[in-house]
Amino acid sequence: MRLGVVKAYILKEFAELFRTRLIVMVYLMPTMIMLLFGFGIRMNVTHARVTILDYDQSHYSRVLTSKFEDSKYFDPMVLQITEQEALRLIKQAKTEMILIIPSSFEKHLLHGQKSEIGLFIDASFPTRATTMENYVQGVILQAASEVSPQKPQSGMISINSRNLFNEAMRDENAIVPGLIGLVLLVAPAILSALLIVKEKERGTIFNFYASPIRKHEFLLAKLTPAFLLHSVNIFILFLWATWLFDVPFRGSFMLYWFSSEIYILISLGIGMLISVITRSQIAAVVLTVIVTLLPGFLYSGIILPISAMDHESYIEAHLFPVMYFNHIIYDTFLIGEGLSAATNRLYLGILVVYAVILLVLGTLFLKKELK
Amino acid sequence: MMFGLEVRNVAVAYKGKSAIRGVSFKAGAGEIIGFIGADGAGKSSLMHAIAGVGRFSGEIVYGGETYRSPAEAEKLKQDIGLMPQGIGLVLYETLTVGEHLEFFASIRNLKRTDAFRTYRNKLLEMAGLSAFVDREAGKLSGGMMQKLSLICTLLHRPKLLILDEPTTGVDPLSRRELWEILDDIRKSEGTIILVSTAYMQEAAKMDRVYLFDSGEIIAGGSAEQLIDSVREYTYTEIPCSEKQRCFSFDKRSYSLAPLDVPHAEPTLEALFFVNALKKGYAMPKMELEARESDAPIPDIVLEAKALTKRFGEFVANDRIDMQLRAGEIVGLLGANGAGKTTFIKMLLGLYAMDGGELLLLGKPIRSGEDRRTLKAKIGYVSQHFALYKDMTVRENLLYFAQMHRIETKKALVRIRKYAEALGYRAYLDALPASLPLGINQRFSITAALLHEPVILFLDEPTSGVDTIARAQFWEIMELLKEKWGITILITTHYMSEAEYCDRVVLFKEGVKVADATVETLYKEHPEAADFEEIFMEYYR
Amino acid sequence: MRIFWTIVAKELISFMRSWGLLAVVLYSFTLDVYIAGAGMQIKPRNVAVGYVDETGGGISQKILSHLHGPEFVQPKRFLSQKALSEAIFNKKILVGILFDRDFEKDYREGREAVMNVLLDATAASQSFTTLGYLQNIVMDFNKVDFPVALKAHKLFNQNADNHTFMALSEMLSIITMLSILLPAMVFVREKEEGTWDIMLLMPIDTKVTILAKSFSQVLIIFAGTVICTGFVLFGSFDMPMNGSFWAFLLLTFFYIFTSAGIGLFVASVSKSILQVAQLSMIIMMPMIFLSGAWTPIHAMHPVLEKLSLISPLRYYIEGCESIFYRGTQWSDLWPYFTGVILLGSVLYWYGFRKIGKLF
Repeated sequence: MRLGVVKAYILKEFAELFRTRLIVMVYLMPTMIMLLFGFGIRMNVTHARVTILDYDQSHYSRVLTSKFEDSKYFDPMVLQITEQEALRLIKQAKTEMILIIPSSFEKHLLHGQKSEIGLFIDASFPTRATTMENYVQGVILQAASEVSPQKPQSGMISINSRNLFNEAMRDENAIVPGLIGLVLLVAPAILSALLIVKEKERGTIFNFYASPIRKHEFLLAKLTPAFLLHSVNIFILFLWATWLFDVPFRGSFMLYWFSSEIYILISLGIGMLISVITRSQIAAVVLTVIVTLLPGFLYSGIILPISAMDHESYIEAHLFPVMYFNHIIYDTFLIGEGLSAATNRLYLGILVVYAVILLVLGTLFLKKELK
Repeated sequence: MMFGLEVRNVAVAYKGKSAIRGVSFKAGAGEIIGFIGADGAGKSSLMHAIAGVGRFSGEIVYGGETYRSPAEAEKLKQDIGLMPQGIGLVLYETLTVGEHLEFFASIRNLKRTDAFRTYRNKLLEMAGLSAFVDREAGKLSGGMMQKLSLICTLLHRPKLLILDEPTTGVDPLSRRELWEILDDIRKSEGTIILVSTAYMQEAAKMDRVYLFDSGEIIAGGSAEQLIDSVREYTYTEIPCSEKQRCFSFDKRSYSLAPLDVPHAEPTLEALFFVNALKKGYAMPKMELEARESDAPIPDIVLEAKALTKRFGEFVANDRIDMQLRAGEIVGLLGANGAGKTTFIKMLLGLYAMDGGELLLLGKPIRSGEDRRTLKAKIGYVSQHFALYKDMTVRENLLYFAQMHRIETKKALVRIRKYAEALGYRAYLDALPASLPLGINQRFSITAALLHEPVILFLDEPTSGVDTIARAQFWEIMELLKEKWGITILITTHYMSEAEYCDRVVLFKEGVKVADATVETLYKEHPEAADFEEIFMEYYR
Repeated sequence: MRIFWTIVAKELISFMRSWGLLAVVLYSFTLDVYIAGAGMQIKPRNVAVGYVDETGGGISQKILSHLHGPEFVQPKRFLSQKALSEAIFNKKILVGILFDRDFEKDYREGREAVMNVLLDATAASQSFTTLGYLQNIVMDFNKVDFPVALKAHKLFNQNADNHTFMALSEMLSIITMLSILLPAMVFVREKEEGTWDIMLLMPIDTKVTILAKSFSQVLIIFAGTVICTGFVLFGSFDMPMNGSFWAFLLLTFFYIFTSAGIGLFVASVSKSILQVAQLSMIIMMPMIFLSGAWTPIHAMHPVLEKLSLISPLRYYIEGCESIFYRGTQWSDLWPYFTGVILLGSVLYWYGFRKIGKLF
């Protein structure tokens, strides 16, 4: 290894990155993905627009209505219109639910008769519809138990639930750490793929082919700038997560940092392999995005916990490095077990093995000759 | 022999197609070896093999070491320097000249001794780049880029220097300077230099020349030997009739059968013609019918008055006056970066004028509507013959015809006629990328002629094109002038081609420095042996 | 007009011959949409439950027997509370239930029996729904007769089936992506291949060239949309069509044209295909995320909500949902058409000026 040679290449890469403004993408992209996904994805339902048709206009119906008004989950509108008109509102996407309180609501209640409340939900957005239904059910049951004169006769089971790791059930806590895993997989891979393919496309790759510089020196020179630049992103993303999205951080920062650096190496390795097989920059970008973005998202655990996956996706998830990294990341942010947990130690080991294998493969496949 | 190079039975194949078949030759220290031949003849493949950047079979011995693969050549790379084909190919656009030298020195792990610095400055000096150390490579002219590439390749004092068409697309001045550097290096360093070139005057100065044809070396020896071998087939120029199997170009005619005219002194270009004749390749007879449009062309077709173009502070064209007359071929010459392309683009209406006036057929061009009329009356062949590479030749031509509102039926007839006349009918359904440059050149010309323009602009139409294709090109230009009587404006770096022009305009640093017929210029410079020397006079 | 069609034909030929691009477009409109629709169910499935039972069975087992497929995998028994927490910490299970020694006794003796539930809240959606599920089970046990019953109807999609929704969202995203990228590439490829000058030299009105080039790509994407709707949405996922198919096609057509206008903007400021890719990505990602496909617009931050007004995708997605699911009639679709067309007009006005200047 001749460090002078490597250093010259690295300096050249930095000069080019800055002068071609590619550096902007290096820092803009991760932050943008983080902000958009972080603000954009909401699993919880808030501000559900419910139109309440109160045909009873009684004390009890108003008690029920006020329950909706007090809830942070709903934006209720009490209207005096017909069901037909209300349905049209749904079709115009101006409301998501119609709650119909029948005219004899109070009378039935006072007479101990059962009364039925109708609910129409726009299920074009299915997950949201299911969640909304549960919420409405919850509100009505709560209201009912308050006004209900009956007390249970026999024993009653109650649930004492504890939300571990994310007490307030905040979406941010559940999503943002996973985004770090996504961003650090996609962005460094794109950059490292571009750095090599760019030289192929331009013709400057001849400088590598025709000079005595060795393969590992060349790769070291190509990967170091990408590695260093994206290492800064580890801190930037951490800042966004803890400061902007208020995600708690309970584990060891050193573990977060170290595993992220390993993970960047894996990403660089993927980009390097892609640059070996592609010839144009655009092909390299498209291929990198296909290879990293989709699996990075699907197997991140953001959408679906790995343990809840079907058999094939369960296996596939274990083949991609995302799962292992995310496990550690969620641990450092929300749990804080750190290296005392055997799984974390194992997964960290797996990441290291991944990084080594990918980098070795890249070095083997890169040929110092024209194709 | 200090360091010898021996190439033994080397063959190269790409994707099952053979590029080079069983080539052998030797070279000694301090020798300059020239490779000539049509494009696609295998010169580049051989050079890549010798430089150890491409796979090959057979063996190459250099400095006592034998290698059969790029991996085995690795240990010799400190002694080898390769400059691949393409202007500025190995340069990084955003790095400055100084940074390039620094980078190339570093990747070769050179010690920054005083000797190194002296040598570096000497190279900069020789290349005339001392004043541009802080300029980014992307902002250099083509000639400067090539000189920079060369000195970057020379920085580590290679003992084996491989240069693939270093002078294509480079102006005569830079070319001469490039050769001065090479000559100096081989004398002082004893370097073996392998060069491929499209300029036969350059080849004539080399120690030995190899002629490539379809992957084989078909002739080799000193320039004199090679020229001697074709002397008997070279005559003074006569118009070749159809029955005679003969070629005419550059004041000479070539024929295997004896002609009734005196012999002439051949140049290396003769090799191409004689080889073609021996292989039975007949130059298709170029023919052209008169224009279908009978609108008369006035005497002055286009007139530029004090045309000026600025890019920021830089004045690319400074108050240039020019008249283009009907039935005239005007050659626009100048060094790289002298403002030729900018000027043509202004005439075409592609660049807005920053000053001056442009008159087409006596009418000033001002509004967008004027420009559209202008566009309908001009034909343009761009550098590198840019055409749509996803469409076949026929589709391309049909597209251009449609865009000029020529009826499909009429267009098809015209396309067939041109394809026949210009001799590329067999290639009509091929994709442009798969065709030799010479064919692409001819069909680009067709694309520019379909709508029967009154002026034709050609930007370096002969760069990189082989000798026979060039001969055919000039035949087409002559025909256009005769039969159509239109104006042709052409830029070229072949000074010998200037003699085909009725008038020559010379640009230097954005200013017009000469505008006269070739005869007048010869009269003004009686001491000049050829046109290249006249050109140099203006640049001294 | 003939020139218009010539340019369109030329672009179509070029597209068909660049097989790499063709493959990417075909893949996006078929397999990609299919995978998105088939692959992921956000509804809880296979939720892993673990429990510790110190009661010796009975009620606890009865409760657990309600947790079955496809929503839950067979609950797994742990011997100690410590083992249970460890399993949650290591993400082996999402939900842990703890029946302590008093649970059964309390229940039988008419006291309040508490069952402790531990939820892994990093998988918020699954945990939350599981909790709701458990609450329902417990409610059945309690046999409380509430005087109020809720009768819910899920309109347009009775089973709250996620497949069609995911597939539709993916298709709309693909349409957006391609209708920005392809038109931008058509222009920038001319710059890269050196044919830009030749294109400018044609004696033709700029607007014709711009419109024809965009139109050719609109046709390609439109064809892709029809294929995707027919084979993937209707063919594989039983997509409902409660509204007018023609309204969908018409809205799609306008939308593609409008997005092509964004592509036009991208092309006018980019010099290379790579720049096109970068710039499109920067424009596209906010568009897709602020479109309402992931989170309804009115549930977003007010600033983002305002911002989404300038995204044509916002109108398009809501319009498509209305047509496919809600069966909204023509007369109520005008806001979507207006939004899309208005934004499109502005974009083309800008494109004509910006690219037109270069001619």
